Amino acid sequence: MSRVILAGTAVAVLIVWIAMAPDARITVSTASRAVHRPVVRDASSLRALQAKYKTLSTQLAKLQPSQPYILVDTARNRLYVKRHGEVVLDAIASTGSGTILDKPGDDANQWIFDTPRGEFLVQSKLTKPTWIKPDWAFIEEGIGVPQNAADRAEEGVLGDYALGFGKGYFIHGTLYTRLLGKNVTHGCIRLNDSDLKGVYTLARVGTPIMIF
Amino acid sequence: MIPLNAQTVHTALCVLFLFLTPITNSWGKDLEAFPNLNFSDLASVKEAARVLEEELKLAARPQTYVLIDLAEKTIHIKGRGVKLHHMPIGQWTVKSRETLTGVHRLVARPSVVRRKIEPGKSAEQDPISLADMPADYDLSFASGLTIVVASSAGKDSLVQGIAFMGKAWWRQVKNWASAIGRDSSIPPAHLELTVSVDHAQSLAWSLVDGMAIIIRRPADSDAF
Repeated sequence: MSRVILAGTAVAVLIVWIAMAPDARITVSTASRAVHRPVVRDASSLRALQAKYKTLSTQLAKLQPSQPYILVDTARNRLYVKRHGEVVLDAIASTGSGTILDKPGDDANQWIFDTPRGEFLVQSKLTKPTWIKPDWAFIEEGIGVPQNAADRAEEGVLGDYALGFGKGYFIHGTLYTRLLGKNVTHGCIRLNDSDLKGVYTLARVGTPIMIF
Repeated sequence: MIPLNAQTVHTALCVLFLFLTPITNSWGKDLEAFPNLNFSDLASVKEAARVLEEELKLAARPQTYVLIDLAEKTIHIKGRGVKLHHMPIGQWTVKSRETLTGVHRLVARPSVVRRKIEPGKSAEQDPISLADMPADYDLSFASGLTIVVASSAGKDSLVQGIAFMGKAWWRQVKNWASAIGRDSSIPPAHLELTVSVDHAQSLAWSLVDGMAIIIRRPADSDAF
């Protein structure tokens, strides 16, 4: 008997709830149309934009190098190796002097000794590199450019290692360590021996180099 | 064996939530491009999303680019989404705010006097340095945008102040002249940044021809 009463009560409550519910919905709906609708729409727009922002942030984070990368500040002559934003190596460097040298016999053309800016990759890793002197090295010294390629080779001036990053530019060592921290090079990036060894150890072919 | 009832499960979930909340929050912060973004302000989030859309295109390519964040009053040099260097902005003013959107490519920047090497002389000839960079200059972009970089020192003395005002007046005259024959309903975008001398020179040093710049505007209309 009690079960019948309980079931009957439940059915009655359900009927009353169904009967009242539409009115309640209309009330809310009317109220929101009159006053709150823009807020509701803004809230949904905000949620959509928040989701979009999160997605874009994640996509941007995925573009960041996951491996160590080299960062070069040419204005302050510093080289850093960073991994996930943390500095792994901090070195005083020498970068491009920004000076110019006229090309002989060609009034309109000049060499500009800037370190290139932008993003590059380590393309080669050399040990005991030999400097193959380019034309400007001879012209700067005021001597003739040799015809024989062997006369361009100079040993022991680039240190123990060199990391090439394209178009003849290298991160290498130097005999002129007193000039580290100054803009004195022809575009290459010079380091002292221990920092050069550290960079050589940490970097691989394909390691990004960001220069600004 | 601990008996599993609703109370125990609820307590366990609360403890787990409290434990994980700081961790997941820090994950989120690492991923966020603008950590100080007012996440509950629709206009701010919309602008941040717009800037990120532009930045994603730039960060996908091997290049460095500049983000001028007016909301945070900071200039960032970036590559692959990584902040490489930043410079604080003291003050800024803007005209035609709506045209600041998109990617702006640098077409004209201040010239730098470079020293010429004299062949046969000592290799130790004066190099160029940050001190050789200008501290007050204009940057022109393919989009028509002009950014005027004014160093805070340039307004300090009376003479410098007069020179600064003279430059501003001359710029206005040039703007009027260039507006003749053009649809005057769309004035060219013009952004003026006041930064310290060091940062003005540092920015001049870092810019290269064709460099891309994107600008994040503050959402607060009162800021204009």
